[in-house]
Amino acid sequence: MKTPTALVLDLIEAIGDDAVVWHDEDLLVYEYDGTIDRGNPDVIALPADTDDVSALIRIANKHGASVTPRGAGTGLSGGALAAKGGVIIGMNRMRRILSVDAENKTALVQPGVVNLDLGLEAERHGLAYAPDPSSQRACTIGGNIAENAGGPHTLAWGTTTNHVLAVELVTADGEVQWIGHDTRDEPGYDLVGCVVGSEGTVGIVTQALVRLVPRPSAVRTMLAVYDSVRDASNAVSAVVASGIVPAALEMIDKMTIAAVEPVLNTGFPLDAEAVLLVEVDGPESQVEAEGARVESILRRFEPREVRSATDHEEREHLWAGRKGAIGALGQIMPNYYLLDGVVPRTKLPDVLDAVYEIAERYRLPVANMFHAGDGNLHPCLLFDEREPGATARVLDAGGEIMRVCVDAGGAITGEHGVGLEKRDYLPWIFSEADMDAMKSLRAAFGPTENFNPCKIFPAGHGCGEAGHQHHAQQQIAKFGPKAFV
Amino acid sequence: MSASDAASPGQPPPFEGLDTISEPVRLARYAVDDSLPTSAVLATGISDVERAMADASAAGLAVIPHGGRTMQCLGMPPQRYDTALDLSRLNRVVDYEPEDFTITVQAGMTLSTLQQQLAINGQLLPLDHPHFEQATLGGLAAVGRGGLRRNSFGGPRDWLIGMRMVQADGTAIKAGGKVVKNVSGYDLAKLFSGSLGTLGIIVELTFKLRPQPASDQIIAIGAPTLDDAQRAARAAANAAPFLNGCIALSADAAAEARALGARLLQDEPTIVLRANGLESAATEVLSHALSAIREVGVDRPERRTSEIVETWQAIADLELQTPNEHVRLRLGLPPANLVQAQVLLDGHLNNPAQWIIAADSGLLFVSTPRVDADTIARLRRELGPLRGRLTIESAPPELKSSVDIWGPAGAGARLMHNIKAQFDPQTALNPGRFVDGI
Repeated sequence: MKTPTALVLDLIEAIGDDAVVWHDEDLLVYEYDGTIDRGNPDVIALPADTDDVSALIRIANKHGASVTPRGAGTGLSGGALAAKGGVIIGMNRMRRILSVDAENKTALVQPGVVNLDLGLEAERHGLAYAPDPSSQRACTIGGNIAENAGGPHTLAWGTTTNHVLAVELVTADGEVQWIGHDTRDEPGYDLVGCVVGSEGTVGIVTQALVRLVPRPSAVRTMLAVYDSVRDASNAVSAVVASGIVPAALEMIDKMTIAAVEPVLNTGFPLDAEAVLLVEVDGPESQVEAEGARVESILRRFEPREVRSATDHEEREHLWAGRKGAIGALGQIMPNYYLLDGVVPRTKLPDVLDAVYEIAERYRLPVANMFHAGDGNLHPCLLFDEREPGATARVLDAGGEIMRVCVDAGGAITGEHGVGLEKRDYLPWIFSEADMDAMKSLRAAFGPTENFNPCKIFPAGHGCGEAGHQHHAQQQIAKFGPKAFV
Repeated sequence: MSASDAASPGQPPPFEGLDTISEPVRLARYAVDDSLPTSAVLATGISDVERAMADASAAGLAVIPHGGRTMQCLGMPPQRYDTALDLSRLNRVVDYEPEDFTITVQAGMTLSTLQQQLAINGQLLPLDHPHFEQATLGGLAAVGRGGLRRNSFGGPRDWLIGMRMVQADGTAIKAGGKVVKNVSGYDLAKLFSGSLGTLGIIVELTFKLRPQPASDQIIAIGAPTLDDAQRAARAAANAAPFLNGCIALSADAAAEARALGARLLQDEPTIVLRANGLESAATEVLSHALSAIREVGVDRPERRTSEIVETWQAIADLELQTPNEHVRLRLGLPPANLVQAQVLLDGHLNNPAQWIIAADSGLLFVSTPRVDADTIARLRRELGPLRGRLTIESAPPELKSSVDIWGPAGAGARLMHNIKAQFDPQTALNPGRFVDGI
C-alpha cells in the first residue's frame, strides 16, 4: 500500500481528497498525451476555482515540486507531460461558460470548457467561436490558449491569439492577475499576446474573455477528388493565389481516406489520391459567386469530381471525415506520430513530395490530413511501437520532415506547440540571442525552474534523457543548426 | 551633456562612422514634447541600428526611435533624451511573395508606400492610420493600435507574423517567421507590437496580407444631431455585423474631413458605412445597415462616393487634426457602452469638438480646448463601470505634467515592469514615456 507524501497530504488538505489523484494505477492516464514521450507525475490535482490553482502552485513551490498544467491532453507535442514529475494541475473541473455578451460578441469562460461546447453556446446566440481544432470535441479553451490552437476555420478568421481578449492568469509564484481588456484598450504591453501560445510555461489561465464572431448567412462546402496529390496541392495554391479567402481549405490523402472511410462512411473515394475540402461562407450572393469561382479553379486541375454540400447535415458529414481522421488512423497501425510543420503556401507541392519521399525511405506509411490553405502540414507517420527500431525510425523521419519545412522557409510547428517533443529543433529557426530574448520574457513572469519545466527550449540540465532526444541530437548533427536564422 | 562627452576617456566617441546630426537647428525636428536630443543617428541598415544601440548602451545614453513622427505626441514627456534614432531611411521591401500573401519590409517604409506596392498585385494590408503617407510601419507597430476598422481587421498585432528587432544593448533578434500560422517559440512580435519603442528597436516586419476586395463601397447619411447619428450607427452595427466600418461623425468633424478630401460629407452629423467583398455582397450588407438606420428614424438620403481610399483616409486623418494646444482624447470600450460613454464625456468636457465614433469597434475620439487633471480622473472613474479606457493622445506639456496620459496600468503593471527590466535594464529606450512610468 502506497503512503501519501507530505506534498500529497498538503494538496489534499487544500482542495480535498476527491480532487487529488496519487495512486500509481490512477496516474497512468496522465503519463501520456499521444506523442512518443512519457512523463511520470507524482500527483494530479484538480482545482475547482482560481484560489485552488493559486494554493496548489504555492504548495508545490514549498515542496520544490515542479508544476505542469494540463487540459485535455490533446496537444500532441508532449506539452501536457510532467517532464520532471511533480504535480500536474488538471483544469478539467473548471468547465463553466460564465457568460455570453451577444451584443459585444464576447464570452467569459473557464479554461476547462471544451472547445465544441463554447462553439455550440455561441451558436445559440447567432455567433461562432472561430478556432475549431480537429480535436474540438475534447480539447479545452485553456489548452487552446496555451498552444495558440488553430483548426480548419482559422484560415479566414485567424488562430486563438486573434480571439482572446483578456485572461485571468496565475503565475508561477501563485499570484493572480487579470490581464488584457474587452477591446484590447488596456494601456501597456500586450500581455495576453505573450500568454497565448506560450504553451503553459508562464502561468495557468483560470478564466478567459474570448471574442465571438458573427455567423455567415450562407455556407457551401465542396469536395474535390483528385488522382494525384500534386494536382490537389496545385489546386490549393491556385485557390490561395486567386485572392479568394475561403473559410477553410483542407487536404486529405489516400492513406487517410483508407483509415476514415470504413469507420465514418463519409463518401471519400477509396482509390482517390487526395481530396480537398473547401468551404466558402458569407452573404448568400457572395457564397454563390465565390463558390462558382472556387469550383472553376478546382476543375482546372483535372479532378475526378467536384461535389457540393449545401445543407447542414451533408456538411457535417464531410467535416466528420476530416475532423475524425486522426482517431481513425488506429485502423491501419497502432501508433501514429503527428508532425505540425508549416511552410509558405506556394511551397506545398514540393514539400509534400519530399514528405512522401522521406516516409518511403524510412519504410513508414504516412497519412496526410491538413490545413492546406494555411500551409500547415500534418504528416502522420504510422508505426507499431512494439516493433524493434520502429520508434527510432519514426523520430528520424520526423526530424527530416521538419528540416524540409524549415528549409522551405517555414517553421517546425503551426498549432500544436514545440512542447517536449520539438524543443531540440528550435535552434533550426532561432539563434541563441532569439531564444535568450524569449527566456527573458519567461523570466518576467516569475520563477521558471519548476514551472512546466523542459518545454519549448532545448534541454536544460535535469530534464533527463527524454525518449527522442538522442535522435534529435543526431538529426541536428546531420544537418547543422541554424538553418533559417 | 553631449553624446561625445558621455563616452568614457579612452573610448571612441559613440556613433563614430554612422550618419549623425548634432547641429541644434537640424535636431529641432526630433523634439519630443519639450525635449531635444543632443544627437540624432540616421540609420540606413540594420547594422547601423545595432551599432547605434551598442554605442548608446555603452555610453549610457537615452534613445528615442523615430519613424514618420505622426504619433510622437503620444506618451508622457521623456525622463531623459540624448539621442534620436531615425529609422525613416530603412525603407526597403526585403522580401515579397505575392502568391504566399506575405511581405517583409523594413521599419521605415510608410504605410502608403506599402499599399502602393501591394496594389500592383491586387493586395493590401487592412490597417488604418492617420497620415498614412508619413506614418511608418515600424511606428504603426510600436504604437500598435487597431484603427477605425478594428472590429473587422484588428490591429497590427493581428497581421504581423514576424519581426526583427535590435535590443537595447545592440543585439539583433527575430521572432516569428514568414508563415501565416506559427507557434514555434514565444510570440515576441506581439510583445513588441504596442510597446511604444520601450523594449527594443523594431527594424523589420513581416505581414500577412489580404486580397483587395472586388468591391469596396462607402455611403454617408446625414442625421439631425450627433446623438441621432451615433444611435443609428449602433443600430447599423448590430444589424449588419459584416460591415467593414461604421462611424458617426459630429458636424465639425464631418466638415473637417470634407476639407481633407472626403467630398461625400457635408457639415452635419453623419453616419459613414463601409462594406466590401463581391459587389452583390457589399450591397447586401449596406442595405441591411441602411434599413436599421431608417428604423431608428434617420431618413435623410444616403450619398455614395467612388473615392474610397481618399474618403476613408480623410476620416482617419481627423485623429491628428486637433487644433493647436487642444487636448485629444481616445476612448476604447465595449461597443454597446459607446452611447452612454459619449453622453458622459459630453457632460464633463469643456466645448468638446470633432467627435469620431467607430460604433462597431468601441472606439471614440474627441478633442477639447482644455481639460484639467481632476476632470480626467473623474471621467476615468465614471467610465470604469462601462469598461472604458481613456487615453490622452496629445496635450500641451502643462497637462502632461499633472496627469497620467495612459491612466492606471491595471493588474498587469507588475508584469510590465518585470518585462521592461528584462529587455531594457538601463531604461535607455523612451524612458518614462509609457504606462506606469515605464
